Amino acid sequence: MQSKSDGEHLARSILHTYRNFFYWVVRPPFPFREIALQFVRTMLEAFITISVGSVVMGMFIAWIGGWYGSLYGALSYIGPAATFGIIHEFTIMLVGMLYACRIGTAFTVEIGSMAMSGQLDAQRMMAVEPVQYIVIPRVIASVFTILFLLGISHGVAILSTMVFLQLWFGISHEVILENAFVFLKSPVLNQSFIRVAIMGFFVSLNACALGYYFSGGAIELGRTATKSIVINFIVVLVIDLLTGMFMAIFL
Amino acid sequence: MIEANNLYVSFGSNHVLRGLSVHIGDNETFVIAGRSGIGKTVLLRCLAGLLKPDSGNIYIDGEEVTNATKETLLRIRKKIGMLLQQGALFDSMNVYENVAFPLLYHKTFSKAEIDKKVDKYLEVVEMDMYRDLYPKELSGGMKRKVALARAMILEPNYLFYDEPTSGLDPSSAGIVESMIIKLKKEIHITSLIVTHDIELTRYVGDKIALMAEGKITTIESGEEIAAKKSVIYEHFIKMRERMHEVNGT
Repeated sequence: MQSKSDGEHLARSILHTYRNFFYWVVRPPFPFREIALQFVRTMLEAFITISVGSVVMGMFIAWIGGWYGSLYGALSYIGPAATFGIIHEFTIMLVGMLYACRIGTAFTVEIGSMAMSGQLDAQRMMAVEPVQYIVIPRVIASVFTILFLLGISHGVAILSTMVFLQLWFGISHEVILENAFVFLKSPVLNQSFIRVAIMGFFVSLNACALGYYFSGGAIELGRTATKSIVINFIVVLVIDLLTGMFMAIFL
Repeated sequence: MIEANNLYVSFGSNHVLRGLSVHIGDNETFVIAGRSGIGKTVLLRCLAGLLKPDSGNIYIDGEEVTNATKETLLRIRKKIGMLLQQGALFDSMNVYENVAFPLLYHKTFSKAEIDKKVDKYLEVVEMDMYRDLYPKELSGGMKRKVALARAMILEPNYLFYDEPTSGLDPSSAGIVESMIIKLKKEIHITSLIVTHDIELTRYVGDKIALMAEGKITTIESGEEIAAKKSVIYEHFIKMRERMHEVNGT
């Protein structure tokens, strides 16, 4: 066995996990109970983070929109611009990134410490395939969780924008809501959910891969958690760009 | 029957197994002794199909482990129970759930049957009164006992022990030791124990092999070790004396 460089090990770990995921996902037993447990767990863990993030993002949009809208006399455009921006772009990126931080890292550290303490080997020795029991439920649950989180984020961010536009600039919500949904056709909304589901899949699978093939001690586990955030941040940006371009051109 | 022929395993320039061969017969307790870091756990992981050797073959009941498919490996592993170092219990599950886990996962038994089996094996390891405790509430020795019950619950043909007494105080080590002896007497399964604990080998082994320089160098019977007139026992005593000499103590 040859010793591998860090980058090579990382690339191999991720590729092996993708291959194993598709190999085992179609083979019984199907871990329905674990998927349900992971769905509830990820929802509970990410709900507050995503909600707080969405409130702050709404404040940010309210400030930028209110300030420059007043400066250039474009207050009537704030409603449609804010809702379009939120649903088309901002919340997708926000949910993707916060999910990578809050849940992705948790997956990496959790599975990494299981690998470190021999729990994955223990499962293998009980004829339980850890990819089926540990990885697949987390990835499938993530795809569904992130859809719900995006829906919550859309609602909270729009509400937060309206509240702070009224509080800081005295713009009533009737003015904001008047034309708010003028650019918002259903494909835009649907596309936002498809894009975030793709992010949920890749973010959770990468995070699981980094934990699954982890070896080392506490310091290495800390480094691996950092890698998980960095890799998944880049993955979220790339997916956001590519899916945004693809859907704008083809759909 | 377990048979390993000419196993080689290297990690970079560190050649751990160098042409190791071993044959373990049915219903015997085979102990592999050797100093820490010599590659005992690597050998055990190879035999269990957790690590693929660079070359060589392993057969369990005539089925090849080294080139087995993923499904075949799962099937072979149902025949093997393994007590890993430190027990490797699942932190999020209590004692009952840890032991019941393989049965619940494989869904081959009803809830009542699972309860009965778990109770039986928790009784064997004398942990039936702690079924609701979580691993963080257990001592090292208790964790090993629960792990032992979990390793036996699928009623395997082979039981592998990876350093079952390492890191335990003498009384906890004694508890684990007596548990292994009890299992040997009550459930006649083939056991493979890797350890650097020479005292353990004296009590439990039918055959004791010394591992050095990536190979099995000597095999002796339990009686020879117990009489303290063996090459393996001498090896361990000399090794300890040499360390004292080196350190001037």
